[in-house]
Amino acid sequence: MSKKPLILLIDDEPQILRALKTILAANDFQIESATTGEMGIAMAVAQPPDVIILDLTLPDMDGIQVVQQLREWSRIPIIVLSVRDSERDKVAALDKGADDYLTKPFGIEELLARIRVALRHSEQGIGSREPIIKAGPIKIDMARHVVTRNDEEVRLTVIEFKLLEYLAAHADRVLTHQAILTQVWGLSESDHVEYLRVYIGQLRRKLEQNPDEPQIILTEPGIGYRFNTSDSSS
Amino acid sequence: MAGRQVRTTKERPFFKTQPFPFLLRHLAAVGSVVLTRWILDPFQPYLKIQLIVLLFLLPIIASTVWWGMTPGILAGVAAFFIFNYFYIPPYRTLTVYSTTDLITLVIFLIVSLIMSQLIGRAREAVKLAQSREWEATRMYELIAAFVSLEEADKIAQELARQTLDTFGCQAVKVTVSQDLPESFSAVANPEEDITEQTPDQVMILRSAREQEGEIQIWRKENFSDKESRLLEAYSVQAALALEKVRLARSERKAKLLEESDQLKTSLLNSVSHELRSPLAAIKASVSSLRSGTVDWKSSDREELLATIEEETDHLNALVGNLLQMSRIESGALKLQKHWDSYEEIVKSATVKMSKQLQNHQLMINLPKNLPLIPTDYVLIEQVFTNLISNSVKYAPVDTPIVITVFTEGEFLHTQVTNQSPAVAEEHLERIFDKFYRITFADRVTGTGLGLSICKGIIEAHGGKIWAENRPEGFTFHFTLPLTLDGALPAIPEETVNE
Repeated sequence: MSKKPLILLIDDEPQILRALKTILAANDFQIESATTGEMGIAMAVAQPPDVIILDLTLPDMDGIQVVQQLREWSRIPIIVLSVRDSERDKVAALDKGADDYLTKPFGIEELLARIRVALRHSEQGIGSREPIIKAGPIKIDMARHVVTRNDEEVRLTVIEFKLLEYLAAHADRVLTHQAILTQVWGLSESDHVEYLRVYIGQLRRKLEQNPDEPQIILTEPGIGYRFNTSDSSS
Repeated sequence: MAGRQVRTTKERPFFKTQPFPFLLRHLAAVGSVVLTRWILDPFQPYLKIQLIVLLFLLPIIASTVWWGMTPGILAGVAAFFIFNYFYIPPYRTLTVYSTTDLITLVIFLIVSLIMSQLIGRAREAVKLAQSREWEATRMYELIAAFVSLEEADKIAQELARQTLDTFGCQAVKVTVSQDLPESFSAVANPEEDITEQTPDQVMILRSAREQEGEIQIWRKENFSDKESRLLEAYSVQAALALEKVRLARSERKAKLLEESDQLKTSLLNSVSHELRSPLAAIKASVSSLRSGTVDWKSSDREELLATIEEETDHLNALVGNLLQMSRIESGALKLQKHWDSYEEIVKSATVKMSKQLQNHQLMINLPKNLPLIPTDYVLIEQVFTNLISNSVKYAPVDTPIVITVFTEGEFLHTQVTNQSPAVAEEHLERIFDKFYRITFADRVTGTGLGLSICKGIIEAHGGKIWAENRPEGFTFHFTLPLTLDGALPAIPEETVNE
């Protein structure tokens, strides 16, 4: 990367802004910050950033609204920040088009990892698929519909493959229950999380080294799932 | 205090013991005397005059008994004339010659009048006693029903029902105007479409302090004195019952406020201490690192930084617990129930707690193929972290902590057993109360909220939580229902492999 990626921070808390500016600058990012939703949207229009970090509680408007307005014209990756116990808000923001979320307080490593994933996705462009996705011992050949584990073919049912395909195509990003149900089962209004539990369980038994401690398909409690391609076993 | 005045005194079903209306009763009385004369006519030659006099007393008695005092008197007068006309010489005139006959006639009149009066009064007294008894019975029924009722809506329903029954109304509507979240009314006999019209009778339910509500009655006939008296007694009783409910409610409210006040006080005490200790550690570490007077070895630096991070997590958990408690307290805890995998919750909680668990041996006994369970994942995970954190605090180092799960009928039963000292029986229930700590407050940190949060969460899920001293150790138990609104999860079928 020749040019430093630009990050737009939208948060009204000066302490957070101060800390994040310092830390992100030290990690080779350019930082712009806005303290209200409106200001943030205006700045995103004036100079489109590479990633937007958005706090869900803003003085002038709901963070979910900000996501909605940004998504009307832009695909810039958005990472939302929110406090614990507001799963409903997080899910709403994700369903409106946010790419990822972090719960305050968060470790800085987590934030950097999320930013890196977001940048990678924005470089690739949404929808352009890699033909082969790897995660640990698992290799998914999207074109040939073949899944191997340690080079041995894993037999999946149609729905299992559809589910895995959707998760892997959005690797390292959180996918809400509703998004998965809509994409895989075509259930746009209903709340059949039980389908997911069953099929995710089946996939884990077929793919994970230890299905009890999954490393590839991670649960995001109360939100959804994340397909993890990073090798770290933490 | 009746709302509207009652106009006439027509008798209602119970009071209507006379079979005929006024005029008919009197005609019947006269008729009975005429009938007596007609029956006696063929026997006249064989009967002595004294016997005839006595026989004429019979229709008078009968009239009084059946139709009341005035028909009885009228019968007496009629008998007087008929007797005079037919049986006293000269016959078929009202003239009397002999003094004896005159005396007989006068005595007959006096006797019949006194008799009908006496019988009439006795009859009235019986009737009155009966109606009093009936009133008393109805009152008793109402009061007895009210005693067992503790909610205003039930009282309103009961009042409407009993008023409808007692007074034979077309419809009764009871409106409760207490300062309830929403006012409501109970309607007895709502099929009658007349509650849209203006009621025929309105009774205000007024207690000593305020208006508790009103009864609206639709009935074509007007109320008799007795009925309006009874209705008034009804309204007084209902007002009292409603007042009792209102007072009980405000008492509960006051108690709740008092409790929450106590809660706040103990919260402040406990929290200010609990928040300060991690803050002190963070402050000390950060200021040491910044002071610049000491050249820190990298291992020491690492140690200080680790302290800061741990204490921050601790503070975060503390704030989370406080928030959760206030949500449970205010009833704002909203469950987001989904069909979750229980294994996953248990595993994820134990992974989260792995740092705290490093000095204990954790054992998990989960049966294979546990069904999905309707839970709020995040909250149940918190129950586990709180129970594990509690076990770690009290159980000696290097002892096992065992989590056992099994299904039991419609419930999933979870046990968390540790080797902490037994808890005296009298404390077993109270350890789930807020800020309840048995002993060694100095040795153990915490807000005293963990277990009460568990209780709040489990009960919100429709389960139960309790603790028990068992031979194998101190055990927390909790149950969670396996069904959601009585149903099991609907799992799509897909058996065909590629």
